[in-house]
Amino acid sequence: MKVKVLALSVLIGFASSGVMAASIEDKIDLLQEEIEQLKLRAEQADKRSAGGIQGFVDRTTIGGYGELHYNNYRGDTPAGKKQKNDEIDFHRFVLFFGHKFNDWISFKSELELEHAIAGDGKAGEIELEQAYLDFALNNHYNVKAGLFLIPMGLINETHEPPTFYGVERNEVEKRIIPSTWWEAGAGVYGEVTEGLNYQVNVTSSLNANKFKTGFADGVRGGRQKVGKANAENLAVSGALNYNGIPGLTFGGAFFTGETGQNVNSGVDARLTLWDVHARYQKDRLDMRALYAKGHLSDAAELKDATGINAAEDFYGWYAEAAYHVWKHGEQSFAPFVRYEKWDTHADVPNNVVRNNDNKNNIWTIGANYYPHPSVVVKADYQKFDDPDGSKGDKRLNLGLGYMF
Amino acid sequence: MVNLPSLLCVDRNVEMIKIRNYKLINKVKVLGIVLPLLLITLSMKVWADTQYLTTEQFLTEHLTSEIPKPSTLWLVKDLVKPAKKILGHAPYQLRQRYWQQGNKTAWILEEIGKVEFITAGFVVEDGKIAQVRVLTYRESRGGEVRYSAFLKQYFGAVLKENNFLSQHIDGISGATLSVRSMTRMARLALYYDALSKQKE
Repeated sequence: MKVKVLALSVLIGFASSGVMAASIEDKIDLLQEEIEQLKLRAEQADKRSAGGIQGFVDRTTIGGYGELHYNNYRGDTPAGKKQKNDEIDFHRFVLFFGHKFNDWISFKSELELEHAIAGDGKAGEIELEQAYLDFALNNHYNVKAGLFLIPMGLINETHEPPTFYGVERNEVEKRIIPSTWWEAGAGVYGEVTEGLNYQVNVTSSLNANKFKTGFADGVRGGRQKVGKANAENLAVSGALNYNGIPGLTFGGAFFTGETGQNVNSGVDARLTLWDVHARYQKDRLDMRALYAKGHLSDAAELKDATGINAAEDFYGWYAEAAYHVWKHGEQSFAPFVRYEKWDTHADVPNNVVRNNDNKNNIWTIGANYYPHPSVVVKADYQKFDDPDGSKGDKRLNLGLGYMF
Repeated sequence: MVNLPSLLCVDRNVEMIKIRNYKLINKVKVLGIVLPLLLITLSMKVWADTQYLTTEQFLTEHLTSEIPKPSTLWLVKDLVKPAKKILGHAPYQLRQRYWQQGNKTAWILEEIGKVEFITAGFVVEDGKIAQVRVLTYRESRGGEVRYSAFLKQYFGAVLKENNFLSQHIDGISGATLSVRSMTRMARLALYYDALSKQKE
């Protein structure tokens, strides 16, 4: 038995050495081929990690932003009103979730926790600000459907803290354009020509019966936030923006729809809101300006039916300039100044008494410090022309923000 | 005996129903226009990840008509560190392919904008950016980075000692992250070009 095995192995040994001797070149070729195979495999592996559509992880994205605010209220308050206590607030904690189903259908969402804690009697709320499907077709024509942001003004669609100056967002894009403002529906968007982008949407509308009685915030209270919202009325909104020149954006947007929601007969309360806006970032300079105006029909009828002191016309505008005085690698420091003015009782019907507190203007001066382009530390000082209720007419704000 | 108020009331109700019907018809009309439009749209031939240029087109247009054999840059040991610093993460490729023609090198790079990869091509000549093109753009917002008015801002840029660009790049509103991603790739292309010169 042993002898047999030995003989066999000797035979095999001879045979294999024979093959080896026969063609060393063949062997090199073989090795070469193997190397090529490995190269190819390495390349494929690289490709996979570089965004191929394999794997759930590759197709699902997470992002987010947040901001912590400190407000120190100062100065005069209206007679009989006690100064509001200073406040520290994790104003917004937001997570983005996205998923790509294939190369043209994707899902995008934004889930927000406002004021750190939500629940019965708690300060904050959890809000679904965006959740829509995006059907990307071509440069000129794409479709989205679901719950999405109304494309109005500068802040509403782009509101991550490092993208704007000042701790608090500007007042005009709170009181005239009720940012953050989202509705449910469908829309088309795309590029008309190079640099010119359009968007047209058919969505749910505001609810006039929910406007605040004093109308100091305009139509802000009418946002139904798509939570079992009254859908008797639909609205059409749209935007046209030009950004073909680096650093420059200008455009306009509109929203029009009835807001009566069939609650009180004879109160259609059609709201037509429009704005024009521009932003110019050249080298170290960053300037922006916006004008927004709203018109509400049936304001008198709304007052009769609900007691809301609605205006027929309301408007606001602001202008802002920032300058990045210091830049070092990714870091920068940018002081800014902003002036804003608004009047939510610009024109009231006969049965509404004009309230002068609905008109105000503010000077804001401060600075953003960016230790990284996506991280910001903010400080500013605000001087209101008239006291902003119990918050007084002077305010010192500190803030911390990030996005990823 | 006719009860006048109740009669009025009926009238009012009829009126209300009319208003309701009118509104309903209006709503149906709007939806009737919008929905078919959406359906037609969705049935259209679709492509999302817009490829503006293939690698071959980029090379023949901006490097040379006869595409040379690609060379490979191995990012070994210490070489990868500056790349990491430029990108803010490890490079996706540790073997970077590139093409060389005289004193020009061409690089096809990929970086994430907001959530999707942008594929861009760079030609570096004598350590300066000579050409930039977006080959494939996949995000739904920020496609303005492919405009020549934006891209030509990179021409002539060199890498400073701290691996930042020698010139300021004006951003695009609504495309901030895509702009940053393009700038990171431009810095990387210049860094890789310098490495490829060391190799020789």
